[in-house]
Amino acid sequence: MSPIQRYSSFLLFLVSYVLVAQNGNLKGFAKFDNDELVLGAYVALKGHDLKRETSTNIDGHFIFKNIPYGTYEVSIHSLNAKPKTVEAVISSSEQTVNITLQITEHQDLQEILVQTKTEKRKIEDEGFAVNVVQTKEASIRNIQTNELLNTTVGVKIRQNGGLGSNVQYSLNGLSGSAVRIFIDGIPISVYGSSFSLNSIPPSMIKRIEVYKGVVPGHLADDALGGAINIVLQNSTKTNFNASVSYGSFNTFQTSANGLYRFEKSGFTVKASAFHNYSDNDYKVWGGQVKVTGLGGQQTPITARRFNDAYRSTGGMAQIGFTDVKWADQFLVGFTGSDDYKEIQHGAFMTIMPYKNRYMESDAMLANVTYQKEDLFTEGLNLNVHGLYGKRNRVVSDTLAWAYSWNGERAIDYQGNEYEYSWGSQQEKIEFGPTLNHIDRNVASIRTGVSYAINEYHRILLNHVYSGINREDRDEFAASFENTFAGTRDLHKNIISATYELNAFDGKLQANVFGKHYQQKTVNIDPFVNDNNEVEDEIISANTKNKGYGFALSYAVLPNMTLLTSAEKAIRLPNETEVFGNDGDNVVANPSIRPEQSNNYNLGFRFGTFSLKNHAFTISTNLFTRNIKDRIGLPLETSLNVNDEIILYENQGHGKSQGFDAQLNYTYKNNLAFNFNMSRFNLTVVNRGVEVDVPNTPFFTMNGNLRYSLKNIIKKNSQLNLFYTMYFTGEFSYLVPQGTNTVGDEFFKVPQQLAQDFGLSYSFPKNRFVMSFDVKNIFDKPLYDNLRVQKPGKAFYLKLNYFINKP
Amino acid sequence: MKNRFFNLTTLSLVLSSLLLTFSCSDDSNDIIEEEKEESSRWITVAAARMGDNPGDGNGGTLIYSISSEDAKDPTKSIAPFDNGFIVPSNRTARLQASEDGSTIFNISYAGDTGGNYSKYTVNGGQNFTPTGSEVSIAPYVGSAPRWIKLFDGDKTGSAVYVSTEKIYDDKGTEDETDDTYLRTEATMGVVTLDLENSLIKNFQEQSIPLSSEEEANGYYISRIDMPTLNAAGNKLYIGARLSKVDPTTGETDREGDVLGSKTIVLDYPSLLNPTIISSTVGYGNTNGYRSINAFLYNGSVYQANQGDPNGSHILKIDANNQYDNDYVFNLDDALGVTGAYVLAWRPAANGKAVLAYRHDGSAEGVAGQQGFFALIDLEAKTATKIDEIPYEADFYLFQYQGFAVDGNEIYLTQAPVGKNGNIYVIDTETGAVTKGAELINVEGSHFIGTW
Repeated sequence: MSPIQRYSSFLLFLVSYVLVAQNGNLKGFAKFDNDELVLGAYVALKGHDLKRETSTNIDGHFIFKNIPYGTYEVSIHSLNAKPKTVEAVISSSEQTVNITLQITEHQDLQEILVQTKTEKRKIEDEGFAVNVVQTKEASIRNIQTNELLNTTVGVKIRQNGGLGSNVQYSLNGLSGSAVRIFIDGIPISVYGSSFSLNSIPPSMIKRIEVYKGVVPGHLADDALGGAINIVLQNSTKTNFNASVSYGSFNTFQTSANGLYRFEKSGFTVKASAFHNYSDNDYKVWGGQVKVTGLGGQQTPITARRFNDAYRSTGGMAQIGFTDVKWADQFLVGFTGSDDYKEIQHGAFMTIMPYKNRYMESDAMLANVTYQKEDLFTEGLNLNVHGLYGKRNRVVSDTLAWAYSWNGERAIDYQGNEYEYSWGSQQEKIEFGPTLNHIDRNVASIRTGVSYAINEYHRILLNHVYSGINREDRDEFAASFENTFAGTRDLHKNIISATYELNAFDGKLQANVFGKHYQQKTVNIDPFVNDNNEVEDEIISANTKNKGYGFALSYAVLPNMTLLTSAEKAIRLPNETEVFGNDGDNVVANPSIRPEQSNNYNLGFRFGTFSLKNHAFTISTNLFTRNIKDRIGLPLETSLNVNDEIILYENQGHGKSQGFDAQLNYTYKNNLAFNFNMSRFNLTVVNRGVEVDVPNTPFFTMNGNLRYSLKNIIKKNSQLNLFYTMYFTGEFSYLVPQGTNTVGDEFFKVPQQLAQDFGLSYSFPKNRFVMSFDVKNIFDKPLYDNLRVQKPGKAFYLKLNYFINKP
Repeated sequence: MKNRFFNLTTLSLVLSSLLLTFSCSDDSNDIIEEEKEESSRWITVAAARMGDNPGDGNGGTLIYSISSEDAKDPTKSIAPFDNGFIVPSNRTARLQASEDGSTIFNISYAGDTGGNYSKYTVNGGQNFTPTGSEVSIAPYVGSAPRWIKLFDGDKTGSAVYVSTEKIYDDKGTEDETDDTYLRTEATMGVVTLDLENSLIKNFQEQSIPLSSEEEANGYYISRIDMPTLNAAGNKLYIGARLSKVDPTTGETDREGDVLGSKTIVLDYPSLLNPTIISSTVGYGNTNGYRSINAFLYNGSVYQANQGDPNGSHILKIDANNQYDNDYVFNLDDALGVTGAYVLAWRPAANGKAVLAYRHDGSAEGVAGQQGFFALIDLEAKTATKIDEIPYEADFYLFQYQGFAVDGNEIYLTQAPVGKNGNIYVIDTETGAVTKGAELINVEGSHFIGTW
C-alpha cells in the first residue's frame, strides 16, 4: 500500500468517522390542524445523497435514525391533508420537528372515510372491546344519535316510542344502571335528560365510543357493563355548519355549530345550538288501542298518538384560547338546555292513554376545559374538564278526566265523561294531581394527567368527581309534607391509574389499570323532636371499592390482530338502594354491597384485506360477564306483604355470554357494506336455580349499504345512496316456558325487520348537502317493549350548509 | 393467496353461524286431550312458574284441566308447566271459576292488558276457549285490580280500589312550620261486572272515613279487597287493611297498635252508603291476599284475618251486618300453635273448611315460611292439621289461590317449590284424605291451587 493510498484510506476512515460522529436522529410529530393525530402517513426525508422513508405511528410520531448532519427536506403525505414539506436542519444528536397538516377542503368522501378510520383505528387498537361510531355521515342525514348507536354491534336501544321518548341502552345484554353514559368523559347524569342522546344532534358530536364490559381508566365511573362516551366536536379550526330538517309527524330539527379562531392571538369563540320538535303523532293499533262504549264494551281503532309531542332546545358557548403556548385549549363556557316531553302512556300502552301528562327538564351549567400537551416537559399531558350548575326536572300530571285513544274524553259504562279515582292520568294510590319537582345542584370535574416516559411507556392518572345534591318537592302536596321532604347528596370520587405499553414496533399494545371508587351519600330528613322542634336527621354512608383490568392488542400477523381485555367492574348502589325512598316505601339498607362483575372479552380482527378493488375487514368478539351480588328486591311474603315497605338487597349471580361479529366491505370508492350481528344469553342464578332472563332481545343484526355516484346532474357533485336494515330476533316477556305450552304468543315480541332508505346529494364545492330519508319503508309495526308501538313509515328532508368542515 | 383462503374460511364461518341461528325456532304443539265423563267435573290446576327467584311465581301462571276422576287417580300424572295454557296476565293472574268448574274467569293483572276481563270455557287439558267479548275495569279500579267472583250463581264479579290523600291544616298561613296533620281521606271505588254478558254493571266512589279518634291518631284504610255478598244479597262486605302515619310529621308509622279488624259494609246492588264495622275479637287486616278470604255459610259471612298479634281468627259477620263478637275462633288455640296466619281457606257447604296456614314454628324454606293445611269446622271452632299431606320446608303456600269444591270434597294442590307433588282430595265430612294425580313440577316453581 502506497503512502498516498494509506493516507487516503486514513482520510476516508477519518471522514467516515467524522460522519458517523456527526449523525443525529430526527424525531417528528405530525398532527392535523384540527388537533387529530396523523397516523400511518407517508414521511420522506430527502437530502443531497440520501433518501429515507417511514410512516407515522399511531401517536403521530415518526423517527429517522442516524442521519448525517445537514439540511433536509421532510415531506409528509396523508390522504386527508394537503402534502406538506418542511425543512429540517440536523445539527445535534436529536432533533425534533413538528408538522401540522392542513386538512384538504375539497376532499371527497373516500378521504373522509380514510381519515375517520384512522382515528377509529387508534382507539380500537388499544385492545378494548370498543366500537367507535363516527357521526360524520349521519350528521348530514336525518338520523338520530340513538338510531346510529342502535346499528352498532352489541348495542341495543330500547325506546318507548318516537323522538324524545324514554330510552334504555343495553351493551352485550347488560342494561340499566350497568351502562354508564358520558359526555366528554363527564357522567351524563350531571347534564340530565335535557342534554342527552335524545336531544344532542349528531353534528355536535365528533364520535361516540362504546366500550363493552371493560372500560378504560380515563372513563371513570362505576360502569359494570360498559360505557358510552360521547366526544363532542373539539377541533380548533375555524368552521361553521348549519342544518335544518323537516319530516313526518311534524318533525322539525335544526342545528348550528361554529368556531372562529383568531390566527394570531389564538383567541377562539365556539358555539353550538340545536332545536328539535316533533308531534310524534304516529299511528298505533292493536293491543289495547280501543275506545270504550256503553257498559264498557270495546272497539279496536287505529289511533294517532295525541299526547306525545317533544321539544328540546339547547346550546353551548365557549370562549378562550386554542393552540397557544400555554394551552392547546383553554375554554370557559356555558351549556344550557331545556326539553319538554308529553307522555302518552306509562310503561305499557293500556286502554287509558294519558292526556296532558308531561315532563320538562332543564340544565344550566358552566364549563371549563384546559388541555395541554408537553406541559413543562415533553410527554406530559394534562387535561381538565369541569362542570358546575343546576338541573331541574318537573313531572306534571294534573288532569283527572279520562281520555280515550281517539283523543277525546272517554265515557264510562253509562255514557258519561268521567274522572279517574286517583285524580290524575297515571294510576296511583295517593289521590290527587302531581307536579313533582326534582331540583339538583350538580358538579363534576375530570382531570387526566399522562406522561409518556418514552415511545413505549406511558402512565396515566385520572380522577373524576361528581356530586349531586337533590331536593324533591310536590307543588300539590301540602306544604307541610314538603317541609318534611328530605334532601339527598351523593358524592363520587373515582381515581384510576393506567400504564400503557407499546412494544414490538407497535405490534403489541397493552394497558393495565386500577380504579378506586369512593362514594359518599348523605341523607337529610327533617323530623319533629321531643321539644316539638323540627330537627334534621342526618345519615351518611361512605363506600370504598377497588377494581382493575387490562386490555391488550397484538398484531399476530399484519392482517390479524388479537384484542383481549378483562375487568373486575363495580356498580355502587344508588341512593334509593342505600337510603330508600319514602315516596316508594323503600327503606334504607346501609349494609348493601355494590354489584360486582368479572368481564372478559376476546376478539380478533382480520383485515383489512385488499384484493384489486375489494377491501374488507372482519372482526369478532367473544364475551362473558359474571355478575355477583346483583341488587334487587326481595320476594313478597306473608311476613312483609303488609309492611308496605321494601328494601333492596344483594341477591344471586348473573351471567351474560355471547359473541359479536362484524364485516366491513368496500368496493372501489363507491360501495361500502357493513354487517354485524350479536347474540348472547343472559341468565341469573338465585338460590341455586338458574333461569334465562326474560324480556331481553338476545339476537340482533344490522346491515348498512352505501353507494356513491359522482358527477350526477352537476360536475363535482356526489350522490350517496344508503340502505339500512335492523333485525331483532323474537323474544319473550316471560321466562322460557315448557315445550308444549299454549298462550305463549301473548308475551312474545315477534321477530322484527326494519328497513330504511336514504340519499344525500353534495352540491359542487361541498358547501350544501341535501339529504332525504325514508324510515321503516314497509311500515312494519315495531316494538322494543311489549306491544309499545314505535313509529311507522316516515319521510325526512334535510339541508346542510358548511364553511370549512371541522 | 394465503390471505384470500383465510378470508374465505372466515366468511363461510360467519355465514354458517348465521344459518345456524336462523334455523332453530320451530313451534309445533302436541295437543294432549283430556277426557271427562258426564258425571264428572273439570278440575283446573294452576301452576306458577318461577320468574327470577324460586317461588316468586312471576314467570307465568299456567292452567291445565283434568276430570275429577283423574284428579283423584294417583297413577295419573300431569305437567302444566310443559303442557299448560299460559293465562294472559303480566303478573300472577287472579283466577276465578264457575261453581261447576266449566268456565274460568280472569282479570289480567298489570301490564298493557291489566284490568281486562276474559272468560274461557274449560275443555280439558290445555284447551281453554275464549268466550264472550273483553271488557276492561281498569278505568274504574286501575290496571292491577283486586277482584272476586261473588257467590250469586256466577253472575257477578266485583273489584275494588282505594286511593288516599293526606289532609293538613295550614292554619290559614303561608308558614309551613305551623301546619298540622288532620286525617287521611280514603276514597273507595267499587265496580260490579256482569260476568255473563261481559258488561260493567255499576261503579261507585265514596269516602270511607274511620272514627275521628282513629283518624286523629293517624289511622286510615290503605287497601281493600275481597268483596263478599251477604245472605240476603242486599249488602256487600269488603275487607280492609289499615295503615298509620305519625300525626306529628305525616310520615309512615309502622310501630302503632293494631286496631280491631274492620270490614266495609255497603248496600247492594247500589254500592252506596258505606259503613265500617269493627271486631273486638280479632285484630289486623281482613283484605286477604290472593285467595278468597270471606265466605257465606249458613246465613253468616265467615272471614279470616291476617297479621293478628294473637294469631289469625275466623271472624263472623251475622245477618244483621255486624261482627258477632261472641263468636271466638282463634286458630292459635284451635291448632295449638302460636302466630297462626291464614294464607288461604275454603269451606264446603257443610261448614267444614280446608285452611292453608303458617305459624311461628314454620321452617324457613327457599321462598319463605313453610305452609300447612288444616281441616276446620266453623260450627265446632276446631282445627286439625291434615297429617296425611306431606310437608317440608319448601312447601310454600303464600301465593295459594284456589280450592275446587265438589259437594263436600275439596281439591288442593301439594308440591314443594321445585319438587313434584300431588293433588289431594279432602272429604270434609269424614276427614278422609285421598292422594290424587301427580303434579310434575319444574325448578323454582310451585302450584297455586285448583278451580
